[in-house]
Amino acid sequence: MFKIFTLITLLTVTAIWLLDNHNQVEPSSGYQVGDILGGIADTGFQRALAPRTFSFPDDHGSHPGFRNEWWYFTGNLADTKSNRFGFQLVFFRNALSPDNPQRKSAWGSNQSWMAHLALTDVSGEKFYSFERFSRGANELAGAEAEPFRVWLYDWSITERNDHWHLQAKADNIELNLKLQPLRRPLLQGQDGLSQKSSEPGNASYYYSIPRLGVSGEIALENSKHQVTGLSWLDREWSTSALGKDQAGWDWFSLQLSDGSDLMFYRLRRKDGTVDPHSSGTLLQQDGEIIRLNADTVYLQELEWWDSPMGGSYPIRWKLEIPKLDINLTVTPVLKNQELDHLIRYWEGAVDISGNRSGQPLQGSGYLELAGYAEKSVDN
Amino acid sequence: MVKTTLWRASLQHLRLHPWQLVLAILGIALGVAVVVAVDLANDSARRAFDLSAQAVTGKASHQIVAGPNGIPDSLYTQLRRQYGIDKSAPVVSGHVILDDNTLELIGIDPFAEGDFRNLLDFTTDGEQTDLIRQLLTTPGAIVMSQELTESLGLSAGDRIELIIGGEKRPALLIGSYIPSPTRAAIFKNILITDIASAQELLQREGRLTRIDLILDDALDIDSILSILPAGTRLLETASRNLTMRGMTQSFHLNLTAMSLLALVVGMFLIYNSISFSVLQRRELFGNLRVLGATRRDIFSLILGEGLLIGAAGTIAGLALGIVLAQQLIHLVTRTINDLYFVLTVSKLFLQTSGLIKGALMGIIATMIAVLIPAFEAAFSSPRSVQNRSRIEDRTKQLRLPLTWLGLGCCAVAGSLLIADDSLMFGFVALFIFILGCSLLTPTLVTWMCQATTRLFGPSIGVSGRMAVHGVHTSLSRTGVAIAALSIAISATVGVGVMVDSFRGSVQQWLESTLRGDIYISPDQPSGTGNQARLKPEISNMIEQLPGIAEISRGRQTELHTAGTITQLFAIHMAAKSYGSVELLQGDPETVWSKFDREQAVLISEPYAYRHKLAVGDKLQLDTDHGRHSFEIAGIYRDYGSEHGVVSMRMSLYRQHWNDNSIYSMGLYLKPGVDPEQLIGRIHNLVGDIQELRIRSNRTLHQTSLETFDRTFVITNVLRLLAICVAFVGILSALLSLQLEKARELAIMRATGFTPRQVWGVTLGQTGFMGLISGLLAIPLGLILALVLVFVINQRAFGWSMELLIPGGVLIEALLLALISALLAGVYPAWRMAKTPPTMALREE
Amino acid sequence: MSGNGAEAFLNLHNISRCYRQGDSRQQVLHDLNGTIQRGEILALLGRSGCGKSTLLNIIGGIDQPTSGSIRIDGVDLTGLDEHSRTMFRRHHIGFVYQFFNLLPTLNVVDNLLLPLELNGWSKEQSRQRIQELLEAIELPGHDTSYPDQLSGGEQQRVAVARALAHRPKLILADEPTGNLDAQSGKSVLNLLERMVREENSTMVLVTHSQAVASRADRTLTLADGKLQPASVGMLW
Repeated sequence: MFKIFTLITLLTVTAIWLLDNHNQVEPSSGYQVGDILGGIADTGFQRALAPRTFSFPDDHGSHPGFRNEWWYFTGNLADTKSNRFGFQLVFFRNALSPDNPQRKSAWGSNQSWMAHLALTDVSGEKFYSFERFSRGANELAGAEAEPFRVWLYDWSITERNDHWHLQAKADNIELNLKLQPLRRPLLQGQDGLSQKSSEPGNASYYYSIPRLGVSGEIALENSKHQVTGLSWLDREWSTSALGKDQAGWDWFSLQLSDGSDLMFYRLRRKDGTVDPHSSGTLLQQDGEIIRLNADTVYLQELEWWDSPMGGSYPIRWKLEIPKLDINLTVTPVLKNQELDHLIRYWEGAVDISGNRSGQPLQGSGYLELAGYAEKSVDN
Repeated sequence: MVKTTLWRASLQHLRLHPWQLVLAILGIALGVAVVVAVDLANDSARRAFDLSAQAVTGKASHQIVAGPNGIPDSLYTQLRRQYGIDKSAPVVSGHVILDDNTLELIGIDPFAEGDFRNLLDFTTDGEQTDLIRQLLTTPGAIVMSQELTESLGLSAGDRIELIIGGEKRPALLIGSYIPSPTRAAIFKNILITDIASAQELLQREGRLTRIDLILDDALDIDSILSILPAGTRLLETASRNLTMRGMTQSFHLNLTAMSLLALVVGMFLIYNSISFSVLQRRELFGNLRVLGATRRDIFSLILGEGLLIGAAGTIAGLALGIVLAQQLIHLVTRTINDLYFVLTVSKLFLQTSGLIKGALMGIIATMIAVLIPAFEAAFSSPRSVQNRSRIEDRTKQLRLPLTWLGLGCCAVAGSLLIADDSLMFGFVALFIFILGCSLLTPTLVTWMCQATTRLFGPSIGVSGRMAVHGVHTSLSRTGVAIAALSIAISATVGVGVMVDSFRGSVQQWLESTLRGDIYISPDQPSGTGNQARLKPEISNMIEQLPGIAEISRGRQTELHTAGTITQLFAIHMAAKSYGSVELLQGDPETVWSKFDREQAVLISEPYAYRHKLAVGDKLQLDTDHGRHSFEIAGIYRDYGSEHGVVSMRMSLYRQHWNDNSIYSMGLYLKPGVDPEQLIGRIHNLVGDIQELRIRSNRTLHQTSLETFDRTFVITNVLRLLAICVAFVGILSALLSLQLEKARELAIMRATGFTPRQVWGVTLGQTGFMGLISGLLAIPLGLILALVLVFVINQRAFGWSMELLIPGGVLIEALLLALISALLAGVYPAWRMAKTPPTMALREE
Repeated sequence: MSGNGAEAFLNLHNISRCYRQGDSRQQVLHDLNGTIQRGEILALLGRSGCGKSTLLNIIGGIDQPTSGSIRIDGVDLTGLDEHSRTMFRRHHIGFVYQFFNLLPTLNVVDNLLLPLELNGWSKEQSRQRIQELLEAIELPGHDTSYPDQLSGGEQQRVAVARALAHRPKLILADEPTGNLDAQSGKSVLNLLERMVREENSTMVLVTHSQAVASRADRTLTLADGKLQPASVGMLW
């Protein structure tokens, strides 16, 4: 999925954020995000040029030869009193340089890390989000394959006996969740090679675990909720950038009541047209994989939400896959699920209703909207 | 505006006597200038400290600090990962030398900085967006402010060589930035680098200097306290900065007291000028009273005049003070750098509070000085129009009460000294004592005049007798002038004797302490803490050299605890070193066996004074293995540190602290070995491995005394300023006196005195006044010296010293008094001698 | 000497004044009594040091008697505090001295202005009055001269005008011509007498000159601390 762009942007901008954090550099005096894209030259890094053989659990760990990488957990949860929650915990790795010279100081590292934590309290109609940075040194942040572990400071996902344990705390929220993969890793794109533009190497290695069973506890403003639900993991690593003519993306990860899981991203071009590299996958309950592309998926914005900070996001959608007779309406559980950090984007829990071949279909999932606001990827 | 004519009558008088006006204004201006200058300089130094502390510690509410070894990296990771203390930032810092400039190298983790300082608050352009990435990924990459790069003639991309703990380390200047104007002064002396590079450059891998924290949750504080490893401490930033600031408190207080002295002398001057101008106008005031002007009219008239003069003098003083402060700030900063810590800023901060304070003091001092003459004029009966000697009579009547008051002041000062042992009270007592002495002046002057007439009457001739008599009969003016001059001179005597005593004691101490022939330590600026150490290969090399009989090895560190900074000195003593320690307390028989074998330490005199410790007491220190109690085996003389030193044997230190490094070596040579030759050999041997300070006994002795002298430059400057004020004072007093005597002198001329004889009488009189001032100043100065040496110094610094009275200082004082009085007499004498007798006589 | 019926303008009752000089006491005035009528010009004769100036100072409220009381126009001066006496003097008394006692730092006009200002005259009133006075003293071209630019006689003319400027009830003149040559003295005296009469003021004139005393309505001699009628011998 297209978080890749977010990522590249984010981590390159990190440097700038550090410079002007409290100074509120005026846009005119500083940079345009577009200038920063590709700010770290891609020379010297490994690139996703051809399909590769994935191997697990090794590939759950990090791939430091590539410039960017992420572990993207989202999920929809509910407690017994039918309080609904959405959560997002994502770790981004960004290499500041292709090589990592041997340093005497344990602080020396070419790896930088960023993490976002978000929680949607549907019944309380509140949205919380946080951001952290660290270098990949001194045990402060990193990712390991076996046992699986990805962490930044005290936010972590750690493999324990039979499950992955998610732990994250910030201000007045705290998540303590057990994650149990219910599906095997699903290779996206062409056997895991996800082409983002026509330029060779402008591609990523991309797999998902579309369904993880979740149980655990969410603490929120002093109240605790025992929750269960479903989570989705996206893993992607690459050394690529947003194409010059690309403006943003709309990304869907939907878990449906018939047991199938749908991922689709639509790449938008600056001229308003849809990039042909838009793509997706439908994983049937029986394990069948159906590839989707811009021609097979029909998307239409139904409702726009004006951000108080400026910009409008299309938060309600019609998603149709005519060849599979799937007709869905995607509705956010809360309108304001915008993250305003290093960059600004909308990422939130959604409800799904509709039908497939005449049978009613429900579900929940996550929607990511990028390139709609200033300080986001569009330029 | 009522009674403008009254005002006109008064102001017209001032206009007709401009020199009087100028001198009065000058007196207050000089006094205010000195006070303002010292205040501004002190304040600037403090503000500089605050600003750099603020820039360096940022918004941190707490800091974790540690002993000589610093803090393990893992503590920071633990805080972040286990306790989720997200407002925390690691810092590795140290002092480095770049092209002879001492700079602070600050290593930060840019990822953790957001909540703390804006060290990197520069404006960005395309190239600078890359700076931090380079900082993180290029070993040895540093950035500095553009001002610094310009002053060093460097530009981005230059390879530079830093000298750190005497070793040369290559670094790369990757860029410069323009800090916001308010912070420019601080960043002129700061190098910023990534924490990894800082550890590598300072050779402190795995160790942090401190961890800055923003803690507002008591729970967080508790959990941090529970995991702090031995040897580390959690301190509140504010209190830590206060502790650092407090180190210089005594120094600042001493300067302030010196500056107040100048103001007091200035007050005498004002008093003198105003009371003379009142005296001159007693006829005018008498007439006004006859015409129906009330006492209040006269009183407010004179007060108003004083206010005017005070305001003019104060304004001039403020301007002069700012100019003077520009010079003083360098002296103040230099002394702080020599004695306390590196203060990287020497910029004058013009604080309005300081200026307002100076202005108020100027006005108030003037008002106090004017009050007495104003009272005098308002309350003397209008009949004094006819009665010219009335005021002199009154002065003579007042002499006895004044004497009693003066004696009372001296008694109060004495009991204050005994009753309270704070430094502040010491100064208060000193000022009361000075006031008392000035009140005694009229009586003392009278006695001296009478004695002179009786003893030398016949031999000094008529002019001589007239001169002496003149001093006596015009006591109301001569008394004040003599008091002002003698106070200024006594201050120079007191301070001079104190400095000489101090220097003598230091010299003696250096001689007994510096027994080794050669001293070796890494080349690092003084006052930078002692993170530097001798490289082991160097100490090995030196040990192998022939010609060395014995070696002592030392290691200095600072232990930061809440509220205090303790200097710890671990030493492995050569056999010959034992004799160099002058014990002030402790049984010489057992001290050394305790020091060598038990859990015992020696503490220096100031340390004992400050912490109220005595031999046999227990001293708690935070070691790398937790808090440990040490017995105090003895107290020794040491002038090296104002805040005191705790000394322990090296093996004891290593038992409690995981630190095997050595900071300094003292070499005792075999007989017949030439130290200078050996120094040459060591230089050759060491070569480029480490920049060392290798000094022979003689050189070290010399440089120590040079440092000492440097720190007293500012004292001497202030002393000189006080004399300047006094000189103006005596000049104005004499001018008034002589001009008032114009008629008398005219009569003398009329009766046949030659101009030369008039010169003689005038100069004789001023010279006599100078002589009296000098003679009075000597005992007063010696008492001041006693108080300074045995009270003020003891209280301010905890040092005891031998009183040393150099004859030179006394003769100097006498000459100073005499010469300034004679100089002040030249103009009036010239004026008097030149005036034709008819001019002066015509007035009646 | 003592008036009957209505109270006299100035009433001196049992005035004594002693000076202490070291241990010795010197009694200058001794139970002195006397009255002066409104509009009267009284000359006071006496030898040097007989206490004429002391008496004048006591009448003017500058000095206080050791005992006794003074009433001026119904006001008991000895019953007033210092401030009230100053105020009384300011409003009702004008002094003329032997040594002129002009303020050297003020010019003629300003010297004349001073008592008016002290008495709170308005600017316009003061201007008019000074104009009158300047005409009376006849010193053309000297309006802005300073005292040291005037001769003794001229200075005294200004002093006279200053003493009368604010129209005081009582003028106290202490040897006003003592320091002047005969010609100037006469002209000053003319001025003084004329102005006192014109203003309908009362005057005590201390002098040792018969010629001066002859201008007075009445002459008394101060001797042995008491006021006595001028003896024939002294008059002639």
